[in-house]
Amino acid sequence: MLVEQLINGVVLGSMYALIAQGYTLIFGVLDKLNFAHGEVFMLGGFVCLASIALGASLPVAILVAAIISGLLGLMIEFVGFRKFRSPDAHITAALSSFAIGLVIIDLSQKVWGAEPVALTLPGTLQTATVSIAGLNIVVLRLAILVISLLLMFVLYGVVVKTSLGRRIRAVAESPAKAALFGINVTRVNQQVFFIASAMSGLAGLALAVRTGYANTDVGFTFGLKALAIMAIGGMGDLRGALIGGLLVGVLEALAFQWGLGQLADVFVWLFMIVILLVRPAGLFGTLISKDVRA
Amino acid sequence: MMQDYVVFVGINIVLAWSVYVILLAGSLSFANGGFMAIGAYVSGVLTVKFGVPLVLAALAAGVAAGAIGVLVGFPALRTRGIYLMLVTVGVTVSVKAVIESIDYVGGIQGFGGMVGTTQWHVVALVAMVGCGLWALSKSPLQRILDAVREDELSAASLGINPVHVKLVCFGAGAFLAAVAGSFYAHYLIHVAPDQFGIVLSVFIVLYAVLGGTNNLWGPPIGAAIMTLIPEFVRGLESWRPTAFGIIILGLLLIRPDGLLAFRSITARARGIFVTKRA
Repeated sequence: MLVEQLINGVVLGSMYALIAQGYTLIFGVLDKLNFAHGEVFMLGGFVCLASIALGASLPVAILVAAIISGLLGLMIEFVGFRKFRSPDAHITAALSSFAIGLVIIDLSQKVWGAEPVALTLPGTLQTATVSIAGLNIVVLRLAILVISLLLMFVLYGVVVKTSLGRRIRAVAESPAKAALFGINVTRVNQQVFFIASAMSGLAGLALAVRTGYANTDVGFTFGLKALAIMAIGGMGDLRGALIGGLLVGVLEALAFQWGLGQLADVFVWLFMIVILLVRPAGLFGTLISKDVRA
Repeated sequence: MMQDYVVFVGINIVLAWSVYVILLAGSLSFANGGFMAIGAYVSGVLTVKFGVPLVLAALAAGVAAGAIGVLVGFPALRTRGIYLMLVTVGVTVSVKAVIESIDYVGGIQGFGGMVGTTQWHVVALVAMVGCGLWALSKSPLQRILDAVREDELSAASLGINPVHVKLVCFGAGAFLAAVAGSFYAHYLIHVAPDQFGIVLSVFIVLYAVLGGTNNLWGPPIGAAIMTLIPEFVRGLESWRPTAFGIIILGLLLIRPDGLLAFRSITARARGIFVTKRA
């Protein structure tokens, strides 16, 4: 029972980590919080639902969800962040992305209603189990875990090894200097938003497939938690987001195991406050702000 | 009807000022919805269960929220601004979850029986807070706050302790939000934890930011407009959140510094400085 809960926690944590990596990527590059990120996550589930309702197979639905979420990210960058790029515009950018989030939630509720919508896949994918060491584990959960870990490793590889990653890191270090070296900062911002949002959309799809429901509420509940997870891991750090996500997922699973499920939402934030007390920049972060570096 | 407008606009003005007070020292708080909830519940319990007079209960609630604000703010203020912002989000989420789990105040169903707020309470509150802030803006204290907000390091080198200044502002903001929350609860008679979610906190910040945060009169203008707009787009009833979101975006894009951004000599000088550096 405990082991099962732990596995659930890790699976949940991997989804948290996927969203948190999106946040942290955007924060690392732009130094701004994207409050619409949670809604991209929410919409990922609905895009999957819609494409399956239109007769697409799951792989096609996954592709569609990733692309549409990415395009939504480009839209968010254009409307909510393009004009607020100065270091002083933290608050304005946060609020404008929040306003975009409001519009996204409202429009999705217009289309799909405020109640959770059931999402059933053809076949037995959602219920099939596999027996490992005497434990029955739903295959889908393992698949979600493996795929999200894979995605995160690919992202890490892209950021560390490729020329795109070098451009991203250069802009994260200092947009002004990156521009002097001939990097198109706007283009990099767009790329970052596309990647982060596509990952978030995929996480939303994973959640909808796992729970069997697409829900317009998850943007707030998951999105805010992922924000805390980003802070736990250290802002702008991909490893931090992964480890923070897994930690929080396991912690929540344990909370449910001990009958404290009602307060599970509080644990994340308490955990964050404790971590920030001990390490003011999160597990992997540094305290040097971009303003100082620039 | 008129009384509704006066009370809600007045309460939102005080809430906007509660964010403004915290912003004066350069930190942003998404916790004011949570402090408002603390105010509503503490004062509600005091008046309903212990028969304390409303004004006294509101003050007590304010002091309680202020103390909690200082307690939470102290660790958070040592770190960078954006972490404080996240801690404040956490405060709001946690306050809501904790209230929901306390059966003594009705849990998720909410708590009722508070009566007694009239429009004159609210008008008096707005007038008092307004006068207080105006006096503050004319006093040397304002320059200390300006110094901390614009450049913490220089302020510290002049012998100002930025953490203390920020903490006092944070506590004062929590106090104001809780007092506003008390009157709000005693006007509505019944409150539920759902009303004090993170959305409310963000809206309070929006009131202040849309009005303009570099002078005292921006937040009330923003609060008044944002409270009254939904009343005038009644025709769009079902499209309200979308219309609202688009209006917010439009306002932010057209006037990123807020509608009433006039006391901006420092801001403008800073703008030139930033463009030169960037």
